Amino acid sequence: MRAVFSLMLDTLREAAARRWFFAFAVVLTLLILALVLGLRMDVVDGALAATRLFGNDVSHDVRSADVALRSVFEAATYAVFYGGLCFGVLACSDFGPELLSPGRIEHLLSLPIRRVELLLGTFLGVMALCLLGIAYGAGGFFLVLCAKAQLWTLRPLLGASLAMVAFFAVYACMLSCAVFVQSASLCAAAGGLCLLAGVVAGQREALAALLEPGFGRQALLVVLAPLPRVSELGEAAASIAIGGAAPESLWRLVTGTLLFGLSVLAVGAWRLRDKDF
Amino acid sequence: MADPGEPSRWSAKHDRGGLAIEARAISKVYRGWLGSGDRQALSDLNLSLPRGTAFGLIGANGAGKTTFVKTLLGVVTPSGGELRVLGGEPAEVTVRARIGYVPERLALPPAWTGRAYLHSVARLKRVRDARADVTRQLDRVGLGSEAERRIGQFSKGMRQRLALAAALLGAPELLILDEPTDGVDPLGRAEIRQLLTEERARGATLFLNSHLLSETERMCDAIGILSRGSLVRQGSVRELCGAPGVWRVRFELGSDAALEPSSFQSCPDGSYRVRARDAAALDRELGLARSSGALLIELRPDAKELEEVLAEVMSA
Repeated sequence: MRAVFSLMLDTLREAAARRWFFAFAVVLTLLILALVLGLRMDVVDGALAATRLFGNDVSHDVRSADVALRSVFEAATYAVFYGGLCFGVLACSDFGPELLSPGRIEHLLSLPIRRVELLLGTFLGVMALCLLGIAYGAGGFFLVLCAKAQLWTLRPLLGASLAMVAFFAVYACMLSCAVFVQSASLCAAAGGLCLLAGVVAGQREALAALLEPGFGRQALLVVLAPLPRVSELGEAAASIAIGGAAPESLWRLVTGTLLFGLSVLAVGAWRLRDKDF
Repeated sequence: MADPGEPSRWSAKHDRGGLAIEARAISKVYRGWLGSGDRQALSDLNLSLPRGTAFGLIGANGAGKTTFVKTLLGVVTPSGGELRVLGGEPAEVTVRARIGYVPERLALPPAWTGRAYLHSVARLKRVRDARADVTRQLDRVGLGSEAERRIGQFSKGMRQRLALAAALLGAPELLILDEPTDGVDPLGRAEIRQLLTEERARGATLFLNSHLLSETERMCDAIGILSRGSLVRQGSVRELCGAPGVWRVRFELGSDAALEPSSFQSCPDGSYRVRARDAAALDRELGLARSSGALLIELRPDAKELEEVLAEVMSA
């Protein structure tokens, strides 16, 4: 486990040195600062009396603060969920290929670490990065909103953290792809494809209903069954963020997505075990 | 000439404390897609390397040197044969913990500082007192003052030194060096040679793969020539290059001096080749030459250059 932890730290160090992540952190900070400085909410007895953004009146309706913020939380959760996933796919696409690049991998494999630890350390490093991104970006954004509206809730952050579950499956595809082909663009493509397939898989019932009952419908359901249901996770995230009840299928969704990720990662580990570099 | 597969004089001389590397009939075939384009990289390779020796592996491009180095580290799995490194399988973590390696191709993380990189390696190698060892190795390779610079700003030679420092962390029992002086200036090469000499004195075994034959000749007490994936010759430099009992002599001949034609064979460079079974026979031959008025100005064993031996093997 010590080697896994070391490799995880190395992945974080590698990320910290990249312009992509630096720019992302700067943009997030600026957005949060803009919100801190530009948003004003007048809250009286738990009701939002007025909202001004950069000096412009946004709303005069007197509404309960939690009701007024629902749509903001919902939109922000979707933005964090899909925006974060897309950013993750692009920004993390070359971690795997770089790790496995000639000149680097020989040296790493000559060290007293197991191949599976190498894969796991990198994977967990990226997951830790994702967690930090959510904690800083979404956490900061929701913290400012909650502070301004004097409405203290962890629900939006919990909702946004479901993006990490989806990214677990997506990045597993990307890293396993890197084991087979050391190409950042192909890894990004694999991640994008998994994300897209996940959105489609989340709508499998609706899509199947478009087909005539029979082999075609069953085949579609079977093909989409093992895929992570990313869009359903996104909807669940938004629902949690606005204070709605978590879908009954949430645990099934989360477990299924994590199992999918682990299975794909296992394929990558299997290939890496005997691969010559 | 030493026979491949049989332990030569140098291996018998150094066979103390077991073998650092023991390879028996190692083969490696890189499989192409659907069985087409298979490439045999190693074939029936045998090597017994006693601990504490410095062994140099030489051969033409594509001879299989790097593949063999990678099999020693478990980076490449042999298709056949038996391989033991420091008494265990190369794939074992405990074995690799005792090996230091400098790869031929270096891809060090450019955004990290030299010190951060070594700390990462030390952590993965589980080096005790990592901080002190990192500082010590940085100083040894002459990068002590450059340790806080980013690797991306390092020259090729500096990167090579950093990779060497990483290999030296934790005082490994076996150092596998794949072109360790590539890109290093002559002064740096001498420093690296000195450093490797110190490592040998500590008891480490050196396995050197280098294109620089003079470097290999100077650093190693045993050399193996790899050709088409097989170790075709191995032995000490003397065993490989020398023709036992043949000497080269140079005389200053007076106007009336005449050498005995049957003993001294004239060479194009003005020297003479003389055959003598032992020192007494050589002394007798030289005495005859001196008595005929020739002044001896140079005497050396008639050895080939390593380059000549390599060329000979490659053309065979």
